Amino acid sequence: MTDFSKMSRRDFLGFTGKAGLATLVASAVGTSFGMVQVAEAAGNARLTPFRFAILTDAHLYDIPDHKFDGILQKAVEDINAMNPPPDFVVYLGDIAQSGKRAELEKGRRILAKLKVPLKVIPGEHDWYLDMGKAWRDMYGSPTWSFDHKGVHFIGMNSILVRDFWTLKSLTPDERMGFMEELECHQCGLWGVRDEQLDWLKKDIKKLKPDTPVVVFTHSPLWDYYPRWNFQTEDAPQIREILSGFERVMAFHGHVHQVVYNRIGNLSSVGTLSTSWPWPYPGVELPFPGIRMNRVDPGDILDGLGTQYIDLEKEFSGVLHYQTWSDLLPEGVKKGVKL
Amino acid sequence: MKLNTKSRFIAFTTAAVAVTSLGLFVTGPAEARKPFTQDELAAQYKELLDTVKQGDELWHSAKLGKNGLACANCHPDAAAANPHTFPKFQPNLGQVIPLRDMINWCIQVPLEGQALDANSREMKALEAYAFYMHRGFKLKPGENTRQHPPVEVRSGPGYP
Repeated sequence: MTDFSKMSRRDFLGFTGKAGLATLVASAVGTSFGMVQVAEAAGNARLTPFRFAILTDAHLYDIPDHKFDGILQKAVEDINAMNPPPDFVVYLGDIAQSGKRAELEKGRRILAKLKVPLKVIPGEHDWYLDMGKAWRDMYGSPTWSFDHKGVHFIGMNSILVRDFWTLKSLTPDERMGFMEELECHQCGLWGVRDEQLDWLKKDIKKLKPDTPVVVFTHSPLWDYYPRWNFQTEDAPQIREILSGFERVMAFHGHVHQVVYNRIGNLSSVGTLSTSWPWPYPGVELPFPGIRMNRVDPGDILDGLGTQYIDLEKEFSGVLHYQTWSDLLPEGVKKGVKL
Repeated sequence: MKLNTKSRFIAFTTAAVAVTSLGLFVTGPAEARKPFTQDELAAQYKELLDTVKQGDELWHSAKLGKNGLACANCHPDAAAANPHTFPKFQPNLGQVIPLRDMINWCIQVPLEGQALDANSREMKALEAYAFYMHRGFKLKPGENTRQHPPVEVRSGPGYP
């Protein structure tokens, strides 16, 4: 297996073969002002190159020393050992399995060991026991944006379903039980809904069309497999709101697998979990070359992992899946061009 | 060819016996038992679907294991359970096994539970659910290179 934690940025750039000298120098010295100027002088720079990492879908149970605790810890240690380190980590939802405060607290304790800042959005497993109360107590608003080194980052809560519990007089536990099943046939499709669409319109209003924009949601911003909520119902509206930008990069959790799509100006990448892998549904993948191998059930770490993204100055980039088993076809091992 | 009288007689008799035998062979067993009535077929199908439903509930239940996980954590809609590829050589077990042995392996290792009796009602129900979610699939015993999605499910549990 490849030890990605020991893989330097220089190795990575060698891989892709697109490293200009200025980029190499700029990234080697980080954000030093003088060097940034060198990088910008070399091309149409829109951002200062940097790396960020993604962790997601730990699905922690309220059971002491559960095996998923150890896998999330291992992922945190891997990210802490990265050289160069990511500027920050984004967590794409489903810290908890059953929405319990104890599960979320356990996740927070493990994630607190990250040496870099963390941004979090929720998944359905975090949310439907208490309608997000415990999650909000820990992480605040699930809708946020921030700017970093020239890039505008956006996080939204994409797992909002219509009320299916009131008419049936379901208890919070029953509601959570339904939502815990991927193939829940009572729950219906989810999305970000009008309030967040309005927020998004306002949030991007003052940005120039060439601003690099990165969007995080728990679920894909395209219709992949609605049966398993591998979709976001109002993704078409989100894509329309963001259609004025030259390029948008979107990253999502929920699918526990390697998957890629591109619609208009938006590229969308799925991420590996630290709990269990999900098989591919019975639909044709839009980019069949970007997938993971068949998972070995005998290997507890197979099908799992983390990922990091290196963004380059003209808002191109490469996503690297970091795995602990022989999960990736050769082409995907080299990274997914964004 | 020209046959004499005796030969003609023998040929006729042989043919007659053959026809009679054939007739018995074709009509005999079918007449020995009447077809199932629609009511009988419906009752049999209901029994099957009840078993499939029990299997569905077990498949999605954490009670088979001790760590909160269910079969459906990794196999939603019984995806990648590949029932139609058994029996096959299972590398992690080092032998040729039927589906029920793989189900028991999943209960014991990923779910950290106790293996079911292979002839138990629970095991029959789990098998029924897995197979029913792959109805119409061609049998491919031994196939060890692919993970299959189940039948296409648009709504509901995947069975009537």
